[in-house]
Amino acid sequence: MSFQEIFIQQVVNGLLLGSFYGLVALGYSMVYGIVKLLNFAHADVYMVGGFCSLTLLTLFKDTFLGNSWTGIVVSMLITMVIVGLLGVVIERIAYKPLREAPRLSLLITALGVSMILYNSVMVVTGGEYRAYKTGLGFQGISIGSVFVTHTQIILTVAAVALMLVLHLFITKTMYGKAMRAISMDLDCCRLMGVNCNKIIALTFFVGTALAASAGTMAGVYYGSLHFFMGFVIGIKAFTAAVIGGIGIIPGAMLGGLLLGLLESFGTQIPFIGSEWKDVFSFSILIIILIFKPTGLLGKKESERM
Amino acid sequence: MKKRLWIFAFVILLILSGVIGCSQPAAPPSGGGGEESEAPEFDGEILLGIMVPVTGSEATYGKDMENAMKIAADEINAAGGVLGKEIKFTLGDDGCDPQMCTAAASKLVSSEVVAVLGGYCSGATIPALKIYGDAKIPFVITAANSTQIIDENPGWAYMINSPGYHQADAASDCFEELGVEKLAFVHQGDGFSENLAELTRDEWKDRGHEVVAYDVVNKGEQDFSSLVTKIRSSGAEGVYWTAYHADGALLIKQLRQGGYTGEITVADGSSSVQLLEIAGSAGEGVYCTSPPVVDFLPKAKQFISAYNAKYGQEPGPYAGLAYDGVYLMADAIERAGSTDPDAMREALSATDNFETLSGAIAFTPKNVLEESNFITIKGEGGKWVLVD
Repeated sequence: MSFQEIFIQQVVNGLLLGSFYGLVALGYSMVYGIVKLLNFAHADVYMVGGFCSLTLLTLFKDTFLGNSWTGIVVSMLITMVIVGLLGVVIERIAYKPLREAPRLSLLITALGVSMILYNSVMVVTGGEYRAYKTGLGFQGISIGSVFVTHTQIILTVAAVALMLVLHLFITKTMYGKAMRAISMDLDCCRLMGVNCNKIIALTFFVGTALAASAGTMAGVYYGSLHFFMGFVIGIKAFTAAVIGGIGIIPGAMLGGLLLGLLESFGTQIPFIGSEWKDVFSFSILIIILIFKPTGLLGKKESERM
Repeated sequence: MKKRLWIFAFVILLILSGVIGCSQPAAPPSGGGGEESEAPEFDGEILLGIMVPVTGSEATYGKDMENAMKIAADEINAAGGVLGKEIKFTLGDDGCDPQMCTAAASKLVSSEVVAVLGGYCSGATIPALKIYGDAKIPFVITAANSTQIIDENPGWAYMINSPGYHQADAASDCFEELGVEKLAFVHQGDGFSENLAELTRDEWKDRGHEVVAYDVVNKGEQDFSSLVTKIRSSGAEGVYWTAYHADGALLIKQLRQGGYTGEITVADGSSSVQLLEIAGSAGEGVYCTSPPVVDFLPKAKQFISAYNAKYGQEPGPYAGLAYDGVYLMADAIERAGSTDPDAMREALSATDNFETLSGAIAFTPKNVLEESNFITIKGEGGKWVLVD
């Protein structure tokens, strides 16, 4: 492979990985923007999404939907609804009663929810890896020695499309406007007659549904699920959200893509092994934060927080 | 007051039900070995010690080894025993714990066993080496394979499982046979997989071949696509994965997804059938260097069915070696002509390609297997099959 080919291939790899990070990062960012909560349970919702869609896909396998793209899309949509509702339930039960409590209590509650989720899945699945069987093959397009499978292309496009839909939702609809308003001042919104509880629930629904879609895509792409699969991606997505500027929607997407690309190129650095890729990518991220503490797209503001 | 009475009654009921429950006989012994057609006449008995963990975290494996040994002994006894004597066992539970191991070894020595079989956890085998050495009791180690055992062996222990470095040979052989010249290594940074990758890398270089990539993936990470690109761009013709099956399956899948067309071989940590299940069609044609697990050995069919019949379950990963150990010991006693310690030890050392399920046994002067007993298996139709 020539240098250009390696470069293009790594960009392709980085984009897919980055769009997974971006999808999960969006949930962190949205929730933080609105209720100032680091929702640790978010990574586990991603994992639950993976398992939920696998269950559905297994049910669909022998019906007319099959376990190829039709089945995958349908199961992903249903999963997004189910897991989105799970997100709303979590918010109602675990976070809403603590909305006026110190932030630290809320943080610990989020940790607790995270543990409840992954331990329950661990018990149900016996801690085993589950194969995510689909009817997809390894066909793809090769240009020179750059090789991209159809699955990779479709998943990347789907992830980016979801992010765009979310962006439109936030910027163009009344609900989106309400979300942005609440992120600025919750009490003021209440006084203005915005149904804050409803909007916060909606935020959780959307954020969680996006994580669930990422979980489904990860299952389809990587082919296996595990109760602890959310842990690493959770940390990375959270990092992506902070790098992009937490609470800022396009920032989460940008941060995710940036982190994905950095990791891809980190693997390829000559003379040192791939074990240094995280050192490489996180060093750059630290440098970014030193120069832009509020993240890439974050605005300078000292008062509100 | 009434409430308290109720609680009292409830407690009484609980105790009663407990007593009744306990007094019922435990599950009836399974049928195997029940109807002996005609018991052979024996001229005394040979008492062998079994030292395996039958309690603690590794109990399943220990129990499995014990079961396998009993099958071997039943077969030998049914054929007339050893030197006309009946093989009998006594158990010492090492619990996979160094302290329990010392106690178990002392117990076996004081029970006057003529030889000991077993040893599953290396850590709970090493302390016993000196005890058996001092008591002049030959010790056939059927599973533990740490190189530390080789160093600390006072000369009375014989290892019939290949030590880790044999796998480096097995893997190099495998790639040479596949005609690979440029090899890439991927491990997971933990002691086991890194050590194996290092050993194999050195072996591969010593044989005059090229190592084009030597990489690591972090545990818990799912995306290896950038690594795949790196491997492809390095021009590797073969990839050796030295870590475990779950991440191995991901790597295999992504190698194929990323357009890699060379050979893939995985190490023993990946010999699980789950690897093929998760990797799906990408797992076809993947090779694996595996210890001699009976599932993959055509010669072991009869043993597997005997095990199934007697215990109603499948033999575990070290059952075959445990079974082989009993046959080896019986053969050595037969050749020694008595249970004199020195004669038995000489006979064991002189073992000359004794055929067992897991291959021929012969020992080096350090009492380690001369030939690696690793086998090569290949993924075919979602199953591992033995490659000759």
